[in-house]
Order: sequence, then C-alpha cells, then structure tokens
Amino acid sequence: MRRYGSSLLLVLVGAAVLRISLFSELYLRYVQAGLRPYLVVSGAVLVLLGVAMAVVRRTTHDEHEAGHEAGHDDDGADDEDGHHHHGHGGGGPRIAWLLTLPALALLLFPPPALGSYSAEREAARTAAQGVGTFPALPAGNPVALTLAEFSSRAIYDSGRSLKGRTVRMTGFVTHGDDGAWYVTRLLVTCCAADASTSKVEVRGDADGAPPVDTWVTVTGTWHPKGKLGTDAAWPAVLDVSSVKRVKQPADPYEQR
Amino acid sequence: MENQRTVADGLRLAVRALVYAVLGGAALLAIATVVSVLGPMLALDLYTPPVAAWWTVFTAVAVQGVPFLLLGTVVSAAIGAFVPEKVFTRLLPRNQALAVPVAGAAGVVLPGCECASVPVAGSLMRRGVAPAAALAFLLSAPAINPVVLVATSIAFPGQPKMVLGRLVASLATAVVMGWLWARFGREEWLRLPKRETTHSGRGLRAFGAGLQHDFLHAGGFLVLGAAAAATFNITVPRSVLDLFTDSAWLSVLLLAVLAVVLCVCSEADAFVAASLSGFSPTARLAFMVVGPMVDLKLIALQTGTFGRAFAVRFSSVTWVVAVVSSVLVGWWLL
Repeated sequence: MRRYGSSLLLVLVGAAVLRISLFSELYLRYVQAGLRPYLVVSGAVLVLLGVAMAVVRRTTHDEHEAGHEAGHDDDGADDEDGHHHHGHGGGGPRIAWLLTLPALALLLFPPPALGSYSAEREAARTAAQGVGTFPALPAGNPVALTLAEFSSRAIYDSGRSLKGRTVRMTGFVTHGDDGAWYVTRLLVTCCAADASTSKVEVRGDADGAPPVDTWVTVTGTWHPKGKLGTDAAWPAVLDVSSVKRVKQPADPYEQR
Repeated sequence: MENQRTVADGLRLAVRALVYAVLGGAALLAIATVVSVLGPMLALDLYTPPVAAWWTVFTAVAVQGVPFLLLGTVVSAAIGAFVPEKVFTRLLPRNQALAVPVAGAAGVVLPGCECASVPVAGSLMRRGVAPAAALAFLLSAPAINPVVLVATSIAFPGQPKMVLGRLVASLATAVVMGWLWARFGREEWLRLPKRETTHSGRGLRAFGAGLQHDFLHAGGFLVLGAAAAATFNITVPRSVLDLFTDSAWLSVLLLAVLAVVLCVCSEADAFVAASLSGFSPTARLAFMVVGPMVDLKLIALQTGTFGRAFAVRFSSVTWVVAVVSSVLVGWWLL
C-alpha cells in the first residue's frame, strides 16, 4: 500500500474525472460544457501516469533488490531526506490523501446540481448592462430563450423586441414570499462556485404553483412592468399559457 | 536461463496482480455494499440542502481545478526534467530589478488560471530563477494571459478600459511584489520542498516522478482550498453585499475580501465582477485584480509549495498592494 499509494491515488482521481466527463454527462453539474475535452484528457493522463509509475516503481524496486550494495546507500539517504523535509515516504505526500474525498464522492454519490436552495440565497441582482437595443430575435413562435436572455431583454431592451412574441423557457420552480412563483435557472460561467441566478415571475397559470424544484417548460408572452433599466422592472414577468413538467435537462445550468 | 527467469517473473507478477485485483475488488465491493445500505439511512438525515450545495460547490472547485493543475504540473515537471539549469539564468537579465518586470510580462504565455502558476513558479525557483522574478511570474500569469483578458472583454462589453485597467493593475502589483521581495524578502521564509530524488536527474522517468509528486501534493492543497471556498460560498449570504454598496471605500475593501473567500477561477471572475452591478467600477476592478493573486485556494496551494511562513506573509502583502494598485489605476482610468 505504501509503495503504490501514489499510483493508486492518481488512478482514483483519473477514474473519477473520467466517470463524470467521458462515461456520463455528470460533469455538467459542476463545470461548464467547454471543459469536457480537458477533463477527458486529464483523466486519461492521470490513469496512465498512475499505471506507468506503478510499473516503474516495481521494476526499479526489483533492480534495487538485485544490486544490494549500491541500492542500499541510495535508499537510506533518500528515506531520511523524505521524512525530514516534507513528511512523506514512498506513499506520496500525505496531504494528497485529501484527494480521495472528491474522487470517492464523484465515483459513489455524485453530488446533485445546485437548485432552489442556492438560487434563493443569491441576492437579487441583475447583469450589469445599460439600456440599449438588442439584435433581432429569431423568427417563428414560440421562440426558445434562456431565462437570462429573456430577463435582459425584458429589463434593458429599448427596442422592446419581446413585444408580441411567444417565448418558451425551461427552469426549476422557486416560490416567492407573497404567493408569487418563479421559473429559475442558475447561470454558470466556469464552475458551480460562480453560479448566479436568473428568474422570471410566472403569472396567469390556472393550476397554481408547482412544488419547489420541479423542472418546468413554460410558454407565454412578456408582461411589461416598471421603467426600463430600473429595479422596478425586475424580475421580468411572463403571462403564461402553458406550464409543462419536464425532466431535469442534461445541463442543469445556463451557459454564458 | 535468462529467458526462463523472465517468464517465471512474468508469471509471478501476473499472479500477484490477480491476487491484488481480487483482494482489492472484494474490499471495494464490501465497502460499496455497506455504504450503499447504511449510506441512505444516514444521508437522509444529514443531506440537507445546504450540505448538498456544499458538496456540489466543493467538488465543482476541485473538478474545475484538475485540468489546470495538471497543465501547471506538466509544465513544471517538464522544466524540472528537460530544461537545463543554465537556460533561465541566461534568458533573464542578471540584475534582479530588471528581471522582475521581464518575468512579470512573461506571465502572458501561460494560458491557465491560478492553479497552474503555483507549481510552475516553484519549479522555476528550483531551476535557479531568482525568487523575486519567479514570484512576479506567479502573480501575473493567471491575471494577464490572453484567455483571461478576452473573458474580461466579453464580460464588460464596450468597456475596453476595464480590460486595460485589469492588465495594468495586475502587472503593476506583480512587479511591485517582485521588487518588494528582492528588497525585503528573506530566503528562510521560503521552504522549497526538495523533490523525492530517488531517480534524480533528467529524462522521462524524472518527468514522471516529478509530475506524480507535484500533482498529488498540489492536488491535496487544492482540495483543502476547495473545502474552504465551498464553506464560505454556502455560509456567507450574498445579501451582505447590499449593505456596503453605498460607501466607495468600504465597497472596494469588501469586494477585495470577497475575492479572497469566493475563490472564483481567474477565467470566470470577470463575469462575477460584471454581475456585481451595485458596486463602483474601481471596486469591481479590485475584485478582478485580487482574485487571481490571493484567495483561499491559492493560499493553500502556496502553503504546500513554499511553506506557511511564506504564504501568510506574501499573501497578506500582495492583498494590500493589489488593493492599492487597483484603487490608483481605477482612479486614473475608470
């Protein structure tokens, strides 16, 4: 165990990375989509390195056993050096064992995507942006939009490109204090640590609010509110015509 | 005779590998069964939404750091194994005061976030680069490389001054810190761990050994930093931010502290800064200048690479210099 500890750790971490990036799409719960190739390469490199170093260690150990005298001197000096200066021997740096925590978590119980808990902790803040015109929306109704796009058009677009359009958006449900409910989605730029929230208030649904954290696709039209670019315009409001429950999408976050 | 021996050896190896695999597999299976039976019972009580969010952020920071850390350790192990000792001393000006800005500007070439630069700076020092110059590189690389600058310009559309401000303020901080180290730094604060030198020397084997050691060592500290970042991410409510947006001075300091505790990767911090719309541009600049140079994850990584005495002194002084530099640049440009 001591001799192959380092190799074992490398293989474990590599396997965990490969499990979430190559063999499933779980990585989307933690990082943005563009990171996948790098994750796959890193996972493969770590596994290969772990195996290669185990083989190297094994062969050199055998060599040392064969050549008694020369080998002994070297080993003694090195062991001492290792213990005195940074407290680890053949098993690798002791702190490295912390890597087993995220690795085993990913292999055995991949943590869930962030949801309503994180969304509600976020203070109400909107993307920094001035009022101005936006590029034209694609033709056709309903048009599929991200919640972030809908919000910024609703709040900052002086061209009012949402007017008269039917839009469709997907997110999870969160509840407000006063009986209002929202379709909410977190927006991740690099990893889940930088998640920020977009939410759109839903009005006019016949069945009442679905339970928190249910994933829904809503279709409806923009309900103008407040003066453009002010706090009163936030959050944007949708007059909904249909609310459909859906499965959580493979990518639970919106990308920038 | 020889042949027979190798065959016998091979057989022995295969049998041993098989035994290990069976034993290890059985142990893993046993653990997995126990955990999957007992786990849900325990987990239902303990796995509250905040705990789940903590695990997600914790693993996210660690997963996100792995490719960059690996890139950094590959570069640093390659420097250790393939680059002759003399190269860097010849490339850099002899005079430390000159070498510092050159090394700082050289940070442009390492396209990664801050996890990558710590091991590289460590191996540069081992290869005889003056610590002051290596430290300037350490600070500037994650802040001024093209990937980060492009991300900043996307996050702040139509505000090229923000990108310029970030470049100038980060480079200034890095160079000032290099000079400060050259003037006041003491060798004994720096504790460069000697690599395990069982197979010292050069070549592929040294590269592999160096890579393995550096990655595991830095990886352990990355996990430590990820845990700290996740803890702050979950426990500090964002609404605290709204209390301080009114005072210009407090808001700069607040965002500079926030950059330390949130540990947002330098390629993403511009987007986070852009979303902090209630704050002055100078405060947001401070967030982007401090973030890649001082944060919990980096302090942990630096502690691992250079020792605690160094990490504590260096990080705190860097924080002050970075804040001052972003205030000056912000006042001048923004």
